[in-house]
Amino acid sequence: MEKQTYTQAKKELEGIVNAIESGDLDVDALTDKVKRASELITFCKEKLTKTDSELQKILEDIS
Amino acid sequence: MNTSTTSFSLSELNGAVKAAIRESLPDTYWLRAETSDVRRNQNGHCYLEFVEKDPVTQSIVARARGIIWSNVFQMLSVYFEAETGQAFTSGLNVLVSVSVDFHELYGYSLTVVDIDPSFTVGEMARNRQRVLKQLEEEGVLTLNKELTLAEPVNRIAVISSPTAAGYGDFHDQLENNPAGFVFYTKLFPAIMQGEKSEQSIIDALERIYLHRELFDAVAIIRGGGATSELSCFDSYLLATNCAQFPLPVVSGIGHERDVTVLDAVAHTRAKTPTAVAEFFITRVTETARQLVDLEDRVVRESRTILQKEQSELFSFSKDVVHVSNVLLQRESSFVLQMGRQLASSAKRIMERGVHFVSTNEQYIRMVSPENILKRGYTLTLKDGKIIKSIRELSPGECLSTRFADGTVLSEVKTSTGN
Repeated sequence: MEKQTYTQAKKELEGIVNAIESGDLDVDALTDKVKRASELITFCKEKLTKTDSELQKILEDIS
Repeated sequence: MNTSTTSFSLSELNGAVKAAIRESLPDTYWLRAETSDVRRNQNGHCYLEFVEKDPVTQSIVARARGIIWSNVFQMLSVYFEAETGQAFTSGLNVLVSVSVDFHELYGYSLTVVDIDPSFTVGEMARNRQRVLKQLEEEGVLTLNKELTLAEPVNRIAVISSPTAAGYGDFHDQLENNPAGFVFYTKLFPAIMQGEKSEQSIIDALERIYLHRELFDAVAIIRGGGATSELSCFDSYLLATNCAQFPLPVVSGIGHERDVTVLDAVAHTRAKTPTAVAEFFITRVTETARQLVDLEDRVVRESRTILQKEQSELFSFSKDVVHVSNVLLQRESSFVLQMGRQLASSAKRIMERGVHFVSTNEQYIRMVSPENILKRGYTLTLKDGKIIKSIRELSPGECLSTRFADGTVLSEVKTSTGN
């Protein structure tokens, strides 16, 4: 479930990067896309470096 | 019937069997068999069963008790382990030199005096090949390898002995990864050597299966202990379980020399638990690198686009000045032109007017009374009023006739109508 979110986020991010690189975006759209990309990057980075205590608890509780 | 002459006591019969065996099988013989139920007692003697299985059905078709005396076993076991990389244990195909014994009380047994480890090495290799072939025929051999590793691969179900040094190494390596990536590990304890390990590891896999959404991969690790025992990792049952497991399996069972069947079916094979940890760290590092790459591209590309927009804007603003100048010039020259046209049109209209006036003046002049009188017409007046009919005049009345050059007074005599 969690992972799919990372994968989805990465996929969306790749889509945005491709869209930006294609050069078809106007400046208004670009601003929105960059904002969204920044959110996605933050989200993904947190997945890599920030401990999800909820998940940790779930794993500890597996007997 | 005299039973004492026609029958044996059990000890007499067993004694006769013993003598017959010793007479007909007096030497030592090389025996191919599978070991089973290998155990040592306090005295260091090794007791075991030799079995032969039907190659197809795997059912036991022959069985014999075996014994290796303590002094022999001490030598043979060290030699065997050094040569095969494998402890002398149950489930091995061995080639042993045995003497055939029969004891009145304990019955039939084989006493081991020598062993040929190269046979076992060959058997292990043959067994691996056979298991791999079977897995291939069943179409499961590469299933686990075909799985895609999740991104990031940081939730790891670990199958290990909880006390193994290798598990500690694995855990420490992940915890202390230099980039500070987060890893989640959950230990599913299993027996990692001996006869029970096969089922124990399969049980652990089944427990992981129940929670499979919580994990990205399975690590099967075993510390490189003194006794290496690989036969359980060549097991068909374990291999087919791993191969078909829905999560990628990474093996690190601590041996250098051989590639076991488990290693062959695992998604990834590492040599040691530490190497397995390194594998995960490398993967997550790669995931992070891709993320940074995407980030760089966003920043770089959007900066490029903004710069382009700015320079376009700048050139637009120059264009605006230029274009408006051009427009202004065009407009003003148009106005100028219009002014000129207006002046010339006005002049033309005026001239036309002047011409009209002068033409009409002439006409008016031509029809004026003076000109008419000059042409011979006269004007008749009575009392200063113009007379246009004879009925206005009666005989005897005075009238004046105007000529161009003067006026004549006259008296009316008669009047005659036309």
